Amino acid sequence: MLFVELIAQGLIQGSIYALIALGLTLVYGLLRILHVAHAAFFTLGGYVGVMVANQTGSLAAAIVAAMIVAGIGGILVFRLCYQPILHQPPFVPLIASIGLYIAAEELFRIIFGPSGLTYGYAFLQGQVVLFGSLRFKLAEIAVMLGSAAIIGVLSLLQTRTRIGVACQATVSDPQMAESFGISLRRVGDINFFVGSALAAFAGVMVSVLNNLVEPTMGSVPSYKALAIIVLGGLGSVRGTLAAALVLGVVESFGTVYLGHFLDRNAIAFAFLILVLMWRPQGLFARSG
Amino acid sequence: MNHKKLAIAVTAAFALQFGAPAWAQVKIGINVPLTGFAAADGKSALDGAKLAVADANAKGGVNGEKIELVIYDDQASPKEAAPAATKLIEKDKVVVGVSGSYSASTRAAAPLFQAAKVPYVVAYSIHPDVTLAGDYVFRTATMGEVQGRAGAKLASDLGKKKVVLITLKNDFGQALATGFKEAAPKFGISIIKEYEYSIPDRQFGALISKVKSDNPELLYASGYYFTAGPLVNQLRAAGVTVPVIGQEGYDSEKFIEIAGAASEGTLVTTSLDRDSPSPVTQAFLKEYRAAYSAGADMVAASTFTATSIAIEGLKKTGGKGGEALKKAIEGGSFNTPIGTLTFNDLHEVKKDIQVQVVKDKAFHRHSVISDPVLLAPPTKAK
Repeated sequence: MLFVELIAQGLIQGSIYALIALGLTLVYGLLRILHVAHAAFFTLGGYVGVMVANQTGSLAAAIVAAMIVAGIGGILVFRLCYQPILHQPPFVPLIASIGLYIAAEELFRIIFGPSGLTYGYAFLQGQVVLFGSLRFKLAEIAVMLGSAAIIGVLSLLQTRTRIGVACQATVSDPQMAESFGISLRRVGDINFFVGSALAAFAGVMVSVLNNLVEPTMGSVPSYKALAIIVLGGLGSVRGTLAAALVLGVVESFGTVYLGHFLDRNAIAFAFLILVLMWRPQGLFARSG
Repeated sequence: MNHKKLAIAVTAAFALQFGAPAWAQVKIGINVPLTGFAAADGKSALDGAKLAVADANAKGGVNGEKIELVIYDDQASPKEAAPAATKLIEKDKVVVGVSGSYSASTRAAAPLFQAAKVPYVVAYSIHPDVTLAGDYVFRTATMGEVQGRAGAKLASDLGKKKVVLITLKNDFGQALATGFKEAAPKFGISIIKEYEYSIPDRQFGALISKVKSDNPELLYASGYYFTAGPLVNQLRAAGVTVPVIGQEGYDSEKFIEIAGAASEGTLVTTSLDRDSPSPVTQAFLKEYRAAYSAGADMVAASTFTATSIAIEGLKKTGGKGGEALKKAIEGGSFNTPIGTLTFNDLHEVKKDIQVQVVKDKAFHRHSVISDPVLLAPPTKAK
């Protein structure tokens, strides 16, 4: 039973990672930028969520507000921060991104105080008992089902709508896509909006799980999500999903059985090194 | 810039440089983590220190001179704390230093104060190396090992023998676990398992599944309120109902806020007894609430205490620092919000451990652990 429980916990954690890493993959696929500041939208989601929830008493309103605010924030970062420096060598946007993340973290601290905010209502704190002895918080079930639903809808949109196809075309060959009349800027807006909104959804769910929103809550996801997209084969959406879930499960077992030797947050990188030695193109990417 | 502007700028610079000492002030330096992961504790610490200074200034300061608190952010990191200490000593020329920070940074700053012969009063860092830096360093906190031993005594007082440790992987958590493990055999406590986690962790689902299968009678979990809040919340949600013993790091109203209803019944070993009859403690709690409209926590009380001890010492020496101040602190007995404190030859304090329990959304007195042998702080001899 412990085995099943650890797998389940790993999948819950993995779906949170997936939500965060997806946005990163979308941005990388399009612009070839390692968007470290992406984790700031995870934190922003947490803050918008907790404030809206405490004002309105509605978690649904909180999630929608967090996703919209973060999505718009994502577009602003694309337009104001990345677009002007896209022609520079890759390390320039990377440094800009790291700087942006640090500034965002300090801004959250200055605006909302260092000690974090908590929910005034007990959302999704009820428990579900499955198969006799597996106990989950409602929030844990919600994060898994929510991620699955969102990712499913997105993949439908990506293959069934014109704009979805345009996005895919842009990722595989930006110049060709542009010559077919696809606006790079519009595709960029969409990718940043969707990616940041997903991170914000993850931020709300994690803050409900922990009942805590803090300025530093994005610091671990900021670099762990980078490891995940590398594992998934940079820019591959399916690879990122699989890598996130696998990492969640590996961490779940690692925390329990390797905790003395290896920090939980180091597992991602130990795993990354191993995988890259064996498959330098990433765990799930086709070689070449 | 033309010459006139330049002349004005130079004059202004000189005025700033040499004009300030015209109204002499007694300077107390403090290093606190105001940014980074420990910023919340840093704020509490600074609030505590400022209150102590404001109190003293309201009563006329030291020798009729106002006390000025010189503040540096050390981000709870040794690489920030060392330059901060150097600036306090060399540039600001403080007569005494206070640490309102964690062990890692305090350990880096302590040898610098020692080398400069500037007394350094440490509020709540618990690592043994802090006072080993030398005889100018004082500590008002109970060392981690001692608190860990008290935790074992508390477990035994509760009649629990099978314990699982959940240890925070830093100086604080490891010192506590060492003390607990050292004392456990004396009380017939068996430690079934020990798990470790690191400071950014907030999600303990996997660990809790394993703890459930270990089926302990009690959990001894080290952490700070921002790790312990989610931990206790998730433990209770997963159906783990056994008592949880925490420590000073839990001692914040924020812990109760984060863990919510799950926090009820959590026990913490700490230095602040909110139900203490001592007028000094009650006056501090009242003043703190009036000043900051929040309840004081252990960090605030400890840093208030460390700062007050520095001020009391200065009053005795008439504002002089150095060896005179060191001797004044060494020989003094200080009535503080965390008890009456005297320092031993290693400049550690000997005091009872307060056990607080969360009841009706607030910390209250559970018991007091008073065992001079078990709680003996280390001395120079060992």
